[in-house]
Amino acid sequence: MLASAMPSFTFAATQDIESRFMGASQLLVNHDLSPAVGARIAAFAQASYPNLGDMLDRITETAATRGASRVEDFFDAIPEGELRDFAFWVISAWYTGSSSGDRDATLFTYEEALLYQPTIDMVPIPTFGFSAPNAWGNDLYPLTDLPRF
Amino acid sequence: MTSSSQVIVVGTGVVGSVIAEHCLDAGLEVLMIEAGPRVSRAQIVENYRNLPLGAKPDATASYPPADWAPHPFHGLEHLESTGPNKYDPTYIRYAGGSTWHWAGTSWRLTPEDMQLRSRYGVGRDWAFDYETLDPYYNMTERKLGICGPADPLDQWPRRDRSMPYPMPHLPLSQGERKFTEVMQTKLGLRNVPVAQARNSGMPYDDRPACCANNNCVPVCPVGAKYDAATSLNRLEAKGATILDNSVVYRVETGEGNRIVAVHYYDRDKTSHRVTGEHFVIACNGVETPRLMLMSADDRNPNGIANSSDQVGRNMMDHPQQGYTFTTTEPYWLGAGPVVNSGIMETSQGDFRRDHAAVYFRLNNFARNRDIAKRAMASGKVGRALDEEIRRLTATSLNVVAAFEMLPDPNNRLTLSAQKDWLGLPRPSVYWDVGDYVRRSSVEYSNPLAQRIAEAVGATDFKPASPEKFSTSKHIMGGTIMGNDAATSVVDRHSRTHDHANLYLPGGGAMASTACGNSTITMTAMAFMAAEALVSEAKGA
Repeated sequence: MLASAMPSFTFAATQDIESRFMGASQLLVNHDLSPAVGARIAAFAQASYPNLGDMLDRITETAATRGASRVEDFFDAIPEGELRDFAFWVISAWYTGSSSGDRDATLFTYEEALLYQPTIDMVPIPTFGFSAPNAWGNDLYPLTDLPRF
Repeated sequence: MTSSSQVIVVGTGVVGSVIAEHCLDAGLEVLMIEAGPRVSRAQIVENYRNLPLGAKPDATASYPPADWAPHPFHGLEHLESTGPNKYDPTYIRYAGGSTWHWAGTSWRLTPEDMQLRSRYGVGRDWAFDYETLDPYYNMTERKLGICGPADPLDQWPRRDRSMPYPMPHLPLSQGERKFTEVMQTKLGLRNVPVAQARNSGMPYDDRPACCANNNCVPVCPVGAKYDAATSLNRLEAKGATILDNSVVYRVETGEGNRIVAVHYYDRDKTSHRVTGEHFVIACNGVETPRLMLMSADDRNPNGIANSSDQVGRNMMDHPQQGYTFTTTEPYWLGAGPVVNSGIMETSQGDFRRDHAAVYFRLNNFARNRDIAKRAMASGKVGRALDEEIRRLTATSLNVVAAFEMLPDPNNRLTLSAQKDWLGLPRPSVYWDVGDYVRRSSVEYSNPLAQRIAEAVGATDFKPASPEKFSTSKHIMGGTIMGNDAATSVVDRHSRTHDHANLYLPGGGAMASTACGNSTITMTAMAFMAAEALVSEAKGA
C-alpha cells in the first residue's frame, strides 16, 4: 500500500511546487506565462535550490505585503542576497528560456522565451518565418512602441 | 558493396557535388563517398532549436559529429592548433558538407585579387586570370542560384558582367538602408547588397523563396539557401551512388603513379577498397591535405601529390575582427538573411604592397540572443527590462572586418601524433596570421572601423586588439595551385602535378584569399576541374 501511495504523494508535491512556482513567476514577470514552460523551470529549480518552496513563499508574501501584482511594485522589497538572486534567476529563466548563459545550460523553451517578444514586431525568432518573400523592408518602428505579450 | 566506379568523388560538399553532377551529365559513372552521416533538414533545425541560448551562436553545435567522422566541435579534440594565433575552423563532416551552415555570401574575386605578386609584390599570382575564371563564375551563379544586384555600382567586382545574376538581390531592411545611406553621405563608402546563394522573391532549383527566417547560419530551415545537401537526391536520380558514413583514409597509387583506388572504413571499422579511373578528393581544405599526407607510400614518401612539399603548407583564411557598438538611433538589424550587405571597396588599393586589404561586413543576425546577457545584467525588471531588450536589440550593431591573408609555407597542416576514433592521425595546424594582417589591423582596419562607428553615432566603440583574430572558417591554401610543379600541388584544373588522374579542387587550391568568402571561387574552380576530367575521360 505504501509503495502505491508514494507516487501520488510525489505527484501532489510536484503539482504543489509547480503551482507555487507559477504564482511567484506571475508576480515577477508581467506577462502571460506558459504552465508547461513553468513546469520545466520549476523542475530544474527544485533540483538546484533545496529551499525552493521557502523562497517562492517569501517572494509571494513580499508582494502580498505591498498589495502588489506587478514586479515593479515590490521587487525592491525583496532582500538582497540569496532571495534577490533567485528572483533574478527566475526572471532570466523566463526571458532566456535557459537555466544560464552557459553553452551547456538546460533549455526550458526556445520560441516561448520572452527575450524575443519585446521586438517581435521588427525581428524574427530565428528559424521562424517573418514575412512574405522579399517583404521585410518595413519601417523602423520607434523604441517606445512595445508589443503586448 | 560498390567496389569500382569510373569516377570516384570523395566528399559530398558543394565542390564534390558540382563535379559529380557535371560528370553525370556527361554520361560518366560516379560514386561519391562521404565520411559523415546523411541527415534531414528537420533534424538539424530541431537540433538548433533545442540548444540552450549560450550554445546557439556556435555554427557547429547543431551538427554533432559521428564517432568515425570527427570534426571541430565543442568539447571534442580533433584539430590541433599551434602557433601564435588560434586556428579554429568550423567545417562539418556531413553529407552536403559545410554549406549546411554557410551564410551563402557569394563575392567574386577581382582581377587584382588574382595578381598580388605582379601588381603589389606580395603573395602569389594565380595560374590564370579573371577573364579565364569569369565563365565558371557564371556557371556557379546559375548552379547554386545566386541573387545579386543589377545596378553596376552595386556589383562586385565593379566591372561589366558577362551575364546577369539569375535572381535580383534580396532587399535590404530599413536598418541596412539607413546604414548604407550613412556610409555614403558621411564617409563616401558604398555599402552594397551581398550576392548570395539564396532564393530572392521566387523559387529556384526546386527550393522556396527566402522568407526572412534569419537563420542561414547554422541552417536555413526552409532550404531557400543553397546547400549541397539539397542537390544529393538529384544526383542520385541522375545515377550517382552515394556512400555515407564511409571514411576514406588512404589513396592508393599504381603504375605510373596514377591513382588506382581509395580505401575507406565503414562505421564498424571494416576496411573497403574501391577502384576507379578518375579521382576527385574534395573533403575541404583540412581533410584533403590530411588524407594526402596519411596516404604516403613508397612512391610518394612525403605523401600523395607532395613532391613539391607544399601539401598542407600555405594554409589561409580570412582572419577577422568584430566590432559591436551601440548607437543612439534604432537600426533594427535582424530582418532578412544574416549577411545582406557589406563594404568591399576597402579591399582594393596599392596599400596592399604594405598591408592586408579588408572588407567590412554588416552582420544582420537578430541581436536578441547577443544582447540577452547585457539586458539581464542591467538589473531591470518588468517594463523597464522589456524596454531595455527592445532598445539594445534595435541599437546594437555588429560589423566585422575580414582581412586577406598571404600564403606562408610556415602556416602548415601536419599529422598529429594523436589519433582519432578510427586510429587515424588527427590534423594539426600551425597558425600565424602574419605581420601583413597585423599591420592592417593597426594602420587601416581599426581607424576605418572607428570612422564607421562614429558615423552611425556609436557611443561605445572599442578598437580591436592587433593580437586577437578569429577565423572566418574559410579554409584555403593547403593544396595550392600554380603552374610550377616545384612550388605548387595542383595545376590550373586542380589536377595534381604528380598524379594525372587525381584532382584536389576546393579552397585548398586557391592561391590568394582576397577578402570575400571563398565558396563561389572554389565552385568555379570545381567547374574547371570537372571540364578537364570529363575531357580526359572522353579521350579528348
